[in-house]
Amino acid sequence: MKTSDSHRVVVTGFGGVTALGIDIPSTWESLMAGRTARGPITAFPTEGCRVAEGAQAQLPEIPACSPKQVARMSRAARLAIPACHEALLGAGLLDANGASRLPRLECVLSTTACGMEMGEGFLKSVWSSSRKGQGSLLANYQAQQQTGQLQRHFGFQGPSAILSNACASGSNAIGHAADMIGCGMAEVILTGGYDALCELVFCGFDSLLTLAPEACRPFDRNRNGLMLGEGAGFLVLESESHAKRRGATIHGFIAGYGHTTDTGHLTQPNQEGVFIESAVRQALEKASLDASRIGYLNAHGTGTPFNDSAEMKAYSKLFSAHATRISSTKAALGHTLGAAGSIEAILCLMALKTGDLPPQINLLEPEPEISLLLVGQGENSKISAALSVNLGFGGSTAAVVFTKE
Amino acid sequence: MKTRILSHGSVSPAGIGLTDCTTPWSESRSQPVSLIGKDSPVFSRWGKEPRIRRASPLSYYLMEAAEQALAAIPNLDRKRVGLVTAFFLGNMVYTVKFYRQITEEGRRFGSPILFPETVFNSPASHVAATLGLGGPIYSQIGDKSCWVNALRTAECWLKIGSADHVLVMGAEEFDSHVIDALRASRLLTKNIPISEGAGAILLGKTGDGPAISAISDGQSFTSRKNARSVAREGLVDFYSDYPLLSTARGWDRSVQEFAATGREVLSDDSMPCEAFTASTAWDTIRAMGMLQTHELKGIVIPHWGLTQQTGFVCLEK
Repeated sequence: MKTSDSHRVVVTGFGGVTALGIDIPSTWESLMAGRTARGPITAFPTEGCRVAEGAQAQLPEIPACSPKQVARMSRAARLAIPACHEALLGAGLLDANGASRLPRLECVLSTTACGMEMGEGFLKSVWSSSRKGQGSLLANYQAQQQTGQLQRHFGFQGPSAILSNACASGSNAIGHAADMIGCGMAEVILTGGYDALCELVFCGFDSLLTLAPEACRPFDRNRNGLMLGEGAGFLVLESESHAKRRGATIHGFIAGYGHTTDTGHLTQPNQEGVFIESAVRQALEKASLDASRIGYLNAHGTGTPFNDSAEMKAYSKLFSAHATRISSTKAALGHTLGAAGSIEAILCLMALKTGDLPPQINLLEPEPEISLLLVGQGENSKISAALSVNLGFGGSTAAVVFTKE
Repeated sequence: MKTRILSHGSVSPAGIGLTDCTTPWSESRSQPVSLIGKDSPVFSRWGKEPRIRRASPLSYYLMEAAEQALAAIPNLDRKRVGLVTAFFLGNMVYTVKFYRQITEEGRRFGSPILFPETVFNSPASHVAATLGLGGPIYSQIGDKSCWVNALRTAECWLKIGSADHVLVMGAEEFDSHVIDALRASRLLTKNIPISEGAGAILLGKTGDGPAISAISDGQSFTSRKNARSVAREGLVDFYSDYPLLSTARGWDRSVQEFAATGREVLSDDSMPCEAFTASTAWDTIRAMGMLQTHELKGIVIPHWGLTQQTGFVCLEK
């Protein structure tokens, strides 16, 4: 961000759980191998839905918790805690007992569904006139409960903000955390997002006819919908001076953040890509970067006709095939809603670190407007800046620029 | 330059605007509940707007409160106004309705019109679209203390220049399921009336109005017992010369009593109802009124949260 050096925002740790892996190394390996996590949904019944497949994650074990404690947790918390553990450990913020070295750690998190299956359970119990267990179901539903679980599990306290800007929430959370550090309101923030598959949201997307009946094909002429997924991604952000003071390893910089709201329609983005272009330009301006410096763009790329066409319009105005490579990892990982921005931010950081670019899988007939920019299997390039873009219902649009230095 | 509250707006079961908002109301039931009637002018006024017509009551409340706050400042460049909404419950009415459809009628019979309205940030999008707001928009969720986070967000945007003005809003809508939920979670004692509605404050760096001198950055707690010590610790050095506005309505009364030791606590007969984030907005409006009526230099507004964290805001004349 355009701030003094002491307020430049760095990433010192990240972690994630996705349908492709229980941590970032395993997710990255599967992603680079071109795999997709698509499979049958077993977390809840799907009889009657038009589509019954998605990207369901294998829930990692949480060794520090008893089976009884784990059984009481929402699916969202079971995704969030291991991802957060990986991020804090990587940032050198966990002691030998797995507790936070910082007793006070501010959080800026994102979710769209919270612990929804608990809320569903509560409603079912009300409708069946069963009062049993209602209190504990509710206690695990609301978003602040998952935040509280993170705080208790890792033994830290502090303020926490939870953003719910639909599917752009994860990018908004990172951008907001960076803004807070950039303007001196915080020195270190744990940011990230999580969302678990649940019946209400799955049936919601099914009702909109937006779920792909077969493979999810972003930026392809034959695209016919998105693949819902689940996961969690967490990042430790610090001011550069704070990170240097404690000798932390710097994985990258949050160089710019832009966000706009497309109020034209609740669910469909402006088809000229105006608001996407504007958010990206804001982020580039704050990063003081020309668009040609973006080596990799992790697009929102849901695989729905409207979303992808809006993105293509925006990107064809902003980027050239010579410099910028584009892919949507949602074809492989699924659309993880409130976690998408955080997970995809981590993939951008991995691309910056390794030079390997996540391929655009499931292409049959790439859209000519963007075909030259799409990442092919096995592409490697020394890039110095990456961009993550996400959009959501309500018109939320967010872009975050990451740089190596 | 300090952030100032330039105007405000509110909607409650008692009516529209500050006068009605601070009029006590009650009903004599085992769990007194006051809901905004369908005959309220809020529904007739905003039901004509295409974006609002099919929206949940929450959007109507937000629209009315937002417009009141914006209309109070003439010549405002709405393209430079940001919006932060804070919710404890969010779009409960439509969420319950949609889930009922898919569980009772079948999974493929959920309404595609209803589902997008269940998303937390849909009401903010409706408000921005209808009132022509062009600044940044966030929807924040959490317990009542997410109002404090919303204020910090507004402060951040004003500081970095993302917006010239920011509307900070709290709103809630209730139905019978929510009442069941509140009883099951034992968040409220039986004699505390609960209600719904919305409150809005418009913040800016220039203009007249009380200044937000400080926003404490929040203290999380792990249990109700822990809430008391955390609240006392957070409050002890926070503008200790200023009186505290009484804002506790449920189990948090014991927290307020414990944390406020040695401080003057100002109370009035207004706003006896608990409406979560709407109450937090109304409490801010109450505090603005008290600065005037009690001729105070400053006042501290505590936000006790209810399930996860507390936060404090200091208002000065």
